[in-house]
Amino acid sequence: MPPRLNLLGATRSLAIRPRPSIVSRQTRVFQAVSRRGFADEKDPKPAAGPNQDVLPHVSEEAGDMSKITGETGPDVGQGTPVQEILERDEEGKSKAPEVIKEQINDKKAAEDTTFDNLLALGQMQNAADGLQLDDPAVLEGLGHKFGLPQLPLPSNNNLKHRYDPVVSQVTNLLMKHGKKGVAQRNMSYILNHLRTAPPPVPNPARPLVPGSPLPSRLPLDPIQYLTVAIDSISPLVRIKSLKGVAGGGAALPIPVPLTVKQRRRQAVQWILDATSKKQSRGSGKSQFAQRFAEELISVVEGRSGAWDRRGMIHKSATSARANLNNRAVKRF
Amino acid sequence: MASSTCWKCLSRPSGRLTTTPIPTASISSAPFSTTARFLAMPKQTKPSARTATKGSKSFAMKKKVVVKSGKPPMPGERKAMRKRIVLSNTNALQVEGLEDLSKDMDMAAHTGKVVGIPGDVVDSLRAAEAFKVSQGWGMFRRPALLIREESVKITESLKRSEEEKKELLLVVDGERGTAQELTNAVTEYSPIPKTTPTLYSQNTYTANWLSQILKSNNAILQSIEMDPKRHNLPIPIRENITLARLCELGARDPDVSWPIFQVFWSEITAEGRPPVLMALDGLNHVMHNSLYRTADFKEIHSHDLVIVKHFMECLSRVKTFPNGGAILAATSRSHAPASKSMELMIRQTLDQQNGDKKVERDPFERKYDPRAEESLKQAAVMRLSGLTKHEARGLMEYWAQSGVLRQAVDERSVTEKWALAGNGIVGEIGRGALRMRI
Repeated sequence: MPPRLNLLGATRSLAIRPRPSIVSRQTRVFQAVSRRGFADEKDPKPAAGPNQDVLPHVSEEAGDMSKITGETGPDVGQGTPVQEILERDEEGKSKAPEVIKEQINDKKAAEDTTFDNLLALGQMQNAADGLQLDDPAVLEGLGHKFGLPQLPLPSNNNLKHRYDPVVSQVTNLLMKHGKKGVAQRNMSYILNHLRTAPPPVPNPARPLVPGSPLPSRLPLDPIQYLTVAIDSISPLVRIKSLKGVAGGGAALPIPVPLTVKQRRRQAVQWILDATSKKQSRGSGKSQFAQRFAEELISVVEGRSGAWDRRGMIHKSATSARANLNNRAVKRF
Repeated sequence: MASSTCWKCLSRPSGRLTTTPIPTASISSAPFSTTARFLAMPKQTKPSARTATKGSKSFAMKKKVVVKSGKPPMPGERKAMRKRIVLSNTNALQVEGLEDLSKDMDMAAHTGKVVGIPGDVVDSLRAAEAFKVSQGWGMFRRPALLIREESVKITESLKRSEEEKKELLLVVDGERGTAQELTNAVTEYSPIPKTTPTLYSQNTYTANWLSQILKSNNAILQSIEMDPKRHNLPIPIRENITLARLCELGARDPDVSWPIFQVFWSEITAEGRPPVLMALDGLNHVMHNSLYRTADFKEIHSHDLVIVKHFMECLSRVKTFPNGGAILAATSRSHAPASKSMELMIRQTLDQQNGDKKVERDPFERKYDPRAEESLKQAAVMRLSGLTKHEARGLMEYWAQSGVLRQAVDERSVTEKWALAGNGIVGEIGRGALRMRI
């Protein structure tokens, strides 16, 4: 049976190509490269037109005039302001627009300017004449009201990094429900508690981080106190469990080094765990901060449970160190 | 001393009653039964409908068991910890060359310097509860204060009032951070009979006040003897007792504390006695109706409470001070009730002092309080603003010497802190420099 004729089917094979919605970035500008025909001359003379023999620009004319008279004329290389042209042209001055006329009058008034302005202008002139720009005495008064900042800028000069890095990190870790103001208040209470508490008595069995100052000096530098406490219990590594490497469904533990920020985060989490388990002795809104600060002091005095947690991680990391030689691990 | 006799039941405590314990266990058993009641089977409780349903498993959330370790704090211990006033930080450094505040000091020469408060004055101020927890006294080695221009002015006017035997009436006003118990119904009160309109006395508060007066002025009050013939007190007192003893009697017995305070006041303002300083913090709180109610549940105006009334009469020159003295009232700008009348009077007095045109009262305002206005008509106003840069520098140098501020104190840092603190508002400088914004 012959196939039925379908008139619509004939057009089906025709692709409908709508106009592309994104026009290609290349603009279709024809290159203005003239094509020389074989019969054309090699160096064609420009076509003569109505603007062929016009007078030069006013500034160029003035330049030519000054060349003849031997004076210094306007700099033709730069654009010439209208005001400068009008200075030479008395007739033009009278016919100039009102705005320009006002400017000329204002300029006369501004000529007797303030002393400071003159001084600054003179100093800028000196700098332009080639005085030592590195000389701080020159730089000091070079039109800056408050002087130039000392370079390099201190790291806390940025608005967003104005607090000590440890303080800002711990503040963010204390924060709950996005209430940073409350966290900052707690941080302030914590630092104040460290400042007023009696100096810690460290445990020789729990050595603090190397380079920490004498314990008697810690209270007067509460930020240092906080940093010493956190850095002393921060673990060096974490244990990562690799699945499908050991075989038999067992995960293979391998130690992974931590960055400074990660290490401090882990330490603060441990301190926060201990803080939430403590019972507060007083009442009021500073109780959490007080418990946190007491936990910090117990860290420095070697009484905190965070020391054991750190020790355990380091111990298991030492035993898991052997797993790093595993071929499968090396592939990761 | 209270007698050991119980006056309600007329029984006298004897050795037998106190030593023999009351046999409570024997009471619970019936006297005529030979069966011990305790041996009976305990009554079976019927299982409730919910748990009795056969086969159904009830969904019971397991509560977290909070393991409490350590002894819980005793009653009152937590509040005491919150209200504890610490005046010294042993970690802070001793400031070399810190002068003590003294009566003969040339205040004008010490403007912008920090001076220490002598020990006996600290004790007096502590007794008068002048130190507050939030003022940051516990950061430094010992209490000290900054002498600013306004303190020189106040000292001069205090000296003048002492010499001229004329009272100084002053309201100290200022922004928050530049410097209520009576009216918020936290202490007991009782109407005073035969008074129209009815006045209310706060006896426990008065007794406490008398004990504070005694503690902070003990040396002077010990040296003044009272004349009992002039007064008729509800309690018998011996002749020729000192004012200190009188205060002690009032402090011990709240029921007679108010009459005793009246006697004390008439004695301390009699001829030839020393000048008196009376100060009130939080003037806003006593410029409107109090939270107390009358017997028919109408609001009591603060000025109907006798202690407030007494202060306001002193402030409005109804009561006079023949020996000179000072009545200081400080406004509060931190979470304080708004008082339209107080604001108006302060503005008008300031305008008058500056020789400006007085601001006019708002004709459409309904919350003006005529009694509050009347009480402030006689007083002068001192408006505190920020420190000068010189004073701010003196303060910051003291902080740095104490080791609390770890920063170089130079022109740049002082100007920075001064400008960021609203042109030198001292509380804000402290928040910016010592604490983290707090």
